[in-house]
Amino acid sequence: MVFPTPSTALRHRFERRSRRLEVAREIRESLVSLAGMLGRPVRHRGGEVVGKVVDVVVRWDTDQPYPPVSGVVVKVGARRAFVAAEAVASVSQREVGLATARLDLRDFVAREGETALASEVLDHQLVDIDGARVVRAADLYLATVGDGVRLVGVDVGFGSLLRRLGPARWRTRPTPEAVIDWASVQSFGPGAGNGGARLARHRGELNTLRPAELADLLEDLGRRERQELLELVDPETAADALEEMDAGELRQLLAETGTARAARLLERMEPDEAADALRDLSQEDRTALLAALPQPAAARLHPVLGFPADSAGGAMTTILFTARPEDTVAGVRDRLAEHAEHVVDLDAITVVDADGRLADDISVGELLLADPQTPLSELIGPPWPVTVTAGADVREVADRLIDSRRLSVVVVDDDDRPLGRILADDVLDAVISGHRRWQRPRAR
Amino acid sequence: MTSPMTSEQDAARTPGAGLTPAPPPPLRHWWRRRWWRRALLALAFAGPGLIAANAGNDAGGIATYASAGAQFGYQTLFLMVLITVALVVVQEMCARLGAYTGQGLGALIREQFSLRVTAFALLAFLVANVGLVVSEFAGIAAALELVGVSKFISIPVAAAAIWALVVYGSYRYAERAFLILSLAFLAYPVAAFLARPNLAQAGSQLIWPHFTGSKAFLLLAVALIGTTITPYMQFYLAAAVADKGIGPADYGKERVDAVAGAIFADLISIFIIVATAAAIKTRAPLASAQQAAQALRPVAGRFASQLFALGLFGASALAAAVVPLSTAYALSEAVGAERSVGKSFREARLFLGLFTGQIVIGAAVALIPGNLIQLLVQAQVLNGIITPILLTYVLILANRRSLLGTAANGRVFRVISTVCVIAIAIMAAAVLGLTVAGWFGIG
Repeated sequence: MVFPTPSTALRHRFERRSRRLEVAREIRESLVSLAGMLGRPVRHRGGEVVGKVVDVVVRWDTDQPYPPVSGVVVKVGARRAFVAAEAVASVSQREVGLATARLDLRDFVAREGETALASEVLDHQLVDIDGARVVRAADLYLATVGDGVRLVGVDVGFGSLLRRLGPARWRTRPTPEAVIDWASVQSFGPGAGNGGARLARHRGELNTLRPAELADLLEDLGRRERQELLELVDPETAADALEEMDAGELRQLLAETGTARAARLLERMEPDEAADALRDLSQEDRTALLAALPQPAAARLHPVLGFPADSAGGAMTTILFTARPEDTVAGVRDRLAEHAEHVVDLDAITVVDADGRLADDISVGELLLADPQTPLSELIGPPWPVTVTAGADVREVADRLIDSRRLSVVVVDDDDRPLGRILADDVLDAVISGHRRWQRPRAR
Repeated sequence: MTSPMTSEQDAARTPGAGLTPAPPPPLRHWWRRRWWRRALLALAFAGPGLIAANAGNDAGGIATYASAGAQFGYQTLFLMVLITVALVVVQEMCARLGAYTGQGLGALIREQFSLRVTAFALLAFLVANVGLVVSEFAGIAAALELVGVSKFISIPVAAAAIWALVVYGSYRYAERAFLILSLAFLAYPVAAFLARPNLAQAGSQLIWPHFTGSKAFLLLAVALIGTTITPYMQFYLAAAVADKGIGPADYGKERVDAVAGAIFADLISIFIIVATAAAIKTRAPLASAQQAAQALRPVAGRFASQLFALGLFGASALAAAVVPLSTAYALSEAVGAERSVGKSFREARLFLGLFTGQIVIGAAVALIPGNLIQLLVQAQVLNGIITPILLTYVLILANRRSLLGTAANGRVFRVISTVCVIAIAIMAAAVLGLTVAGWFGIG
């Protein structure tokens, strides 16, 4: 193997760097910075200045990843006129050239499916879907792609902010250091909100985010933006994300969401998480939400709500799968299959006797390995189920879990009737709290 | 009562199985066992308006009100009435902005103004708040000097301790302790009555418009404005209203809270002025915290200094962490680094840098030798000069129909609020002019 001498290594590195710089320069020259364009002159075909650029309007409602520019808002004297894209001959960093010699002074009115970039998108919150983070647009980049000028990227770099603070000469020079491809950006606000193919395209991607990522997005967004995001994702996905949210943020979100939608989300949350959220709300909001919940969901929540948050009763999920000793393994498996959506909350089934008392807790694994025709009564036996009473402290539950090496414990009442189940992850939630380190000091 | 898996049909298919009888919810039991927690919760539901307005009664506030009482007796009382009107107007606008937009002022200004105008507002906010942090550390030092600790020890130790408590995450507990300590200042209204103030004089000064033309009075007037209508409070209130999820539907109640909070906070301020005016008759600027503490003598007797020290320490330590935290949050939010706030050191560079920087600068300035009480007052003058700048932003935002729709300022309210802001701006400009002239030896 031949090691490159220091000088050749240096030369290689220099060549690589200059190549990269050239590419960067090409990109830089083809990009037009929106922030830099604002305030630049608009000339008609004769070369005379007719006004200044105030805003650039794009059309969302197409199935294309890069929205096309549909026109430019030009300030002529004291009026704001709209110039359609067909009348624009060239868009460059320094000026906008018109194809016509005359300017038709039509006042600018926002149209359905269109958004004015400078007033609605620049400096506003956006979601970078690939990076699963909330960003604020420091600059927007336009480029000539195919037949027209399109919005291609959003700059989130700190350098771009500084550039915009500086003199006009700096402002017109794009500094693409932290640019996100517009194809993976979800924007909010008028025009972006109401349906359209563009949204449908992102809807799929948003639904594939992990619940914790979606929760982070919801926490970081402003009120209007987060309501729009909630509208975009499936209620199931949203409910999973809500379970991951910080308690204070979740309280805020539920308080500002309409009762009907909030109830739809609560209905899909695990009962223990939903009860936690309800506990934090004001009496008034809680009553309204409980009343709006469909009967089965409200019934699941009531027993949990009756117990303090830090007791076993408050941390349990009331989603229990109960069976009788005479049921066969095959019959239980069939019933389990019908409730596949709750599979994450299930690690065992609860067997009760004729009086409703707990007979045994049979793990799903045991069920899987047993012969289909066996009645459950044959599976009953040691190891006996681990139980706690509803009033037990969460730390006691943790101790029981550690001792038994199980993944869940059954919560029973004084007569040994099962009330619910506590899964190890709920205990983790209760034991580890405050994972967000620096929060805005909240209203005490 | 039962899970979906044991719903009616399942139960019908496997008779007797599945239904787990649930006991009636023992809500009453829960209530009784947790009554103290419920009581704390009720305190927590004391609205953001009440909390924000009373944040004005921090170390700087106490020093400024006490200074006003000591130096001018009851003469500043009428001014306090005018300031209360302005505070009510301003608080109401901020609460309305928070409720109708669901955003803090930092994000709102970034979205509604051009970037340069935004940068100017945030810079002004940062300067005002660094001034506040200075005054909080001066307050800590003044409190501990009363019990014999040199400020060259207390300030560095307090700065390091507060920084570590916040960054390593056990600040929440310390916060509660500080809050309880600061309740010591509730002794002021009692002291105001026990000190047998000249009620006739206080009453007439409260009602009759009167102004004293001296430079010292003007300076103190701006300090009173600065500590009562602090820019920090405006940002806090809008963010807290948004954080609580208060929307247009609940705004009626929030308006009551904002207005009542402002009036209540200013009543306390007036009591502080009256108590000090009755207890200290030198009519000269306050020389020391020792002297300021004399106002509490009617309540605490010879323990007046200790009581004053406790309250001052609690209020200062509380704000010394909360002010830089909120400032760092508001600025990060406006820059667009929201996400970094909950993350690790490396990712939260901007946030952590802002927080640390404010504490370091605040502590360093407070260490400069000089009269701590006067330093506290001067920090409020700085706030008073900056207040009208940020009030202008609030006013423009609250006037904007494109932002608030029908909730934007009506014609009458617009006139009242504009007059308030202009009056404050004129006084601030006069003080700024006098100060600059002073640097060049004029006046």
